[in-house]
Amino acid sequence: MHPLIQYRVAQLLEQDLGDPNHLESTLSFKKVIELDEEEAFPEAELNWLYNWHLQDYYVPVDCGGKFTNFEEFLALVRVLSRRDQTTGIAFTTMFWSFLCWMAGTEEQKQKLAQFMIEEHGTMCLGYSEREHGSDLVNGGLTATKVPGGYLLNGEKWPINRATRSGVTFVLARTDAEGGAKGLSLFMIDKREISNSEYYNLPKILTHGIRGSDMSGIGFNNCFVPDSMLLRQEGDGLEIGLKGFQITRTLCAAFAQGAADTALRTTLNFALKRVVYNKTVFALPQPRKTLVDAFLDILICDCETIGAARGFSVIPEQFSVWSAVVKYFVPTQLEKMVNDVYVVLGSRFYMRDEHDCGIFQKVLRDNSIISMFDGSTVVNLHALMLQFRQLTKYRAKRKPETMAEIKPRLATIFSLQQPAPNFEPEKLELFSRGADDSLQGLEIALQQLEDLRQESNVNQETLEKLINLGKLVLDELNVHDELIAQSKFEFGHEQSPELFEIAKKYCTLHAAACCLHMWIYNRQLLGEFFASGEWLVLSLHRLLRTIRPMPYLISEVYLENVAQELVRLHRENKLFSIVPIQLAQSEINKQEDQTNAITELVHV
Amino acid sequence: MQLQNSSMSNQVVIQNWLIKQLAEQLSLDSATISITEPLTRYGLDSIDAVTMVGDIEDVLDVELPSTLFWDYPTIEKSSQFLAQNYDLSNLNNKADDAHVLEELEETGIEATNSSKGWGGLFSRIKGA
Repeated sequence: MHPLIQYRVAQLLEQDLGDPNHLESTLSFKKVIELDEEEAFPEAELNWLYNWHLQDYYVPVDCGGKFTNFEEFLALVRVLSRRDQTTGIAFTTMFWSFLCWMAGTEEQKQKLAQFMIEEHGTMCLGYSEREHGSDLVNGGLTATKVPGGYLLNGEKWPINRATRSGVTFVLARTDAEGGAKGLSLFMIDKREISNSEYYNLPKILTHGIRGSDMSGIGFNNCFVPDSMLLRQEGDGLEIGLKGFQITRTLCAAFAQGAADTALRTTLNFALKRVVYNKTVFALPQPRKTLVDAFLDILICDCETIGAARGFSVIPEQFSVWSAVVKYFVPTQLEKMVNDVYVVLGSRFYMRDEHDCGIFQKVLRDNSIISMFDGSTVVNLHALMLQFRQLTKYRAKRKPETMAEIKPRLATIFSLQQPAPNFEPEKLELFSRGADDSLQGLEIALQQLEDLRQESNVNQETLEKLINLGKLVLDELNVHDELIAQSKFEFGHEQSPELFEIAKKYCTLHAAACCLHMWIYNRQLLGEFFASGEWLVLSLHRLLRTIRPMPYLISEVYLENVAQELVRLHRENKLFSIVPIQLAQSEINKQEDQTNAITELVHV
Repeated sequence: MQLQNSSMSNQVVIQNWLIKQLAEQLSLDSATISITEPLTRYGLDSIDAVTMVGDIEDVLDVELPSTLFWDYPTIEKSSQFLAQNYDLSNLNNKADDAHVLEELEETGIEATNSSKGWGGLFSRIKGA
């Protein structure tokens, strides 16, 4: 059992699902590739998950389920997504239930909880429309008030699980005049509306996640009773935007599951394949590429796990943090997958060779993550609209502000402390300029300085960390100066330059999260984590995208991280700052046999 | 009666301040801004309207509902709501002063009492 209690359920699920390389396991690579080839919905696989009672973890404890906070939940989604994003994404549309947990009445909550836990029901989200895309406020689906309810007219498209969901959350225009209060959110139970008044749009053929029920739903004078309205008429946009803060943070887990498989299957190849009398992994260039990929996962872990826990501590800041995570993690890991396929060579493109051809499926499936629940552009835009306030707030910080940030950082980043239960009603549409992770950077730097007195810290590594940390602070100051001097304009015609500035902010945010994560967990997460060498390389990797830096910071560190990567691969552990034990792998068994045979031959 | 007068004048103050903000942010001539038109008519979309609440909070030094400009979508309605529900003593007629104050703060004028934010600083300067 994992010592960190919040990772136990994920480890249990992982063990019960079994080794994905084993042909007979639930969600084996062979099986998910076959389903993908047939473009078939993973019906049996989802039923297996229902019978395992995974749905309980989507329902908060106070509604009768087992959800407490995101840290545990993200680990579950990660375990699922490392096998198959199609299944992971299909099952997890259930997470839209949070709209009800956040805004529903007791009665609505109870009904939905029963639907999920006992009836194995699921839901989908109808926000976007063919004509309007991300422009939610100008959506064309209308809900006209009639006695006892509303008449719905219009279509939502493209919607994941639109056809197969029993409950559809629909954002509809209730005020013909439009405006931010012109939208309302309905939780429509398909069993309680007339079959003849709604229809589903045909399955859309997609590049990846081919088995998904990607379709749509349309309404023709469809009567929807008042009891299906969430909160008040006109509250739809507010609930919708807050709901996105939740799901945007969650999206990181899909990408991290995929990244693990992309790196693992590439290592399966690179550690065995011999060219020029060496394994591919022993050659410097591929070795560096794979170490960088591992660092990318560790960096994204610090950002994602920090956010997952931060959600329970500072939900009011998540208009900022969710946008950072949703931009940074999926794009960083998409790039990572692209970087490692060079090492895998032409096998990355084959649909049957090498580990059943899982790599090409990951590549295709994973590319949707940065697009759904708000695209990269939408998230960067949401962030830049808050830049002026973030900069002003940071400039105004006083010793008291910093004294308040410090214990919050400790609660967020100390994995040994239980994260509080998540309270969605505390979400806010804007963060009032607060962003603890970055605004607490000076606290982290001071903590590093204090570690100069600690005998169990390698002082040379610490020196490097302090220097790199100062560079992060320099860049943050440059960012603030830039924002203070620029003329802020509202609207959707932001300059391309500002998008680049927003990307850099996210990079600095990730660097700060890495520092906090290390500072609060040095004693907890094992020797490799504690040494901090990975952190030096990670900060260097992030900063190199912002300013000119030397290509390599330490060959010794690189080698040590490479050794750890091989160890995790050999021992079947998740590539993560919390390397949970994965199901026993057939591949490594074979590898051990091969090694044994090789040794015998040498003897 | 006195209260009402004070509330009325506060409303005018905040109205003028909002007009100025809008004109500046959206590069419009303040003379063309009507207090009875929905803010969205001036190119301010729903998310911008949320962000703008933050600017108002800075000046008033109070925490406001983030959906303020959604719930009260014209300058007239929102300033009426603000005047009736909040202490606007931090606000003054000459309130383009967020910018002046920003400069002052940046040149290192230190706060001498516990009130925070630009509004607080402004009232201290006025009082001096």
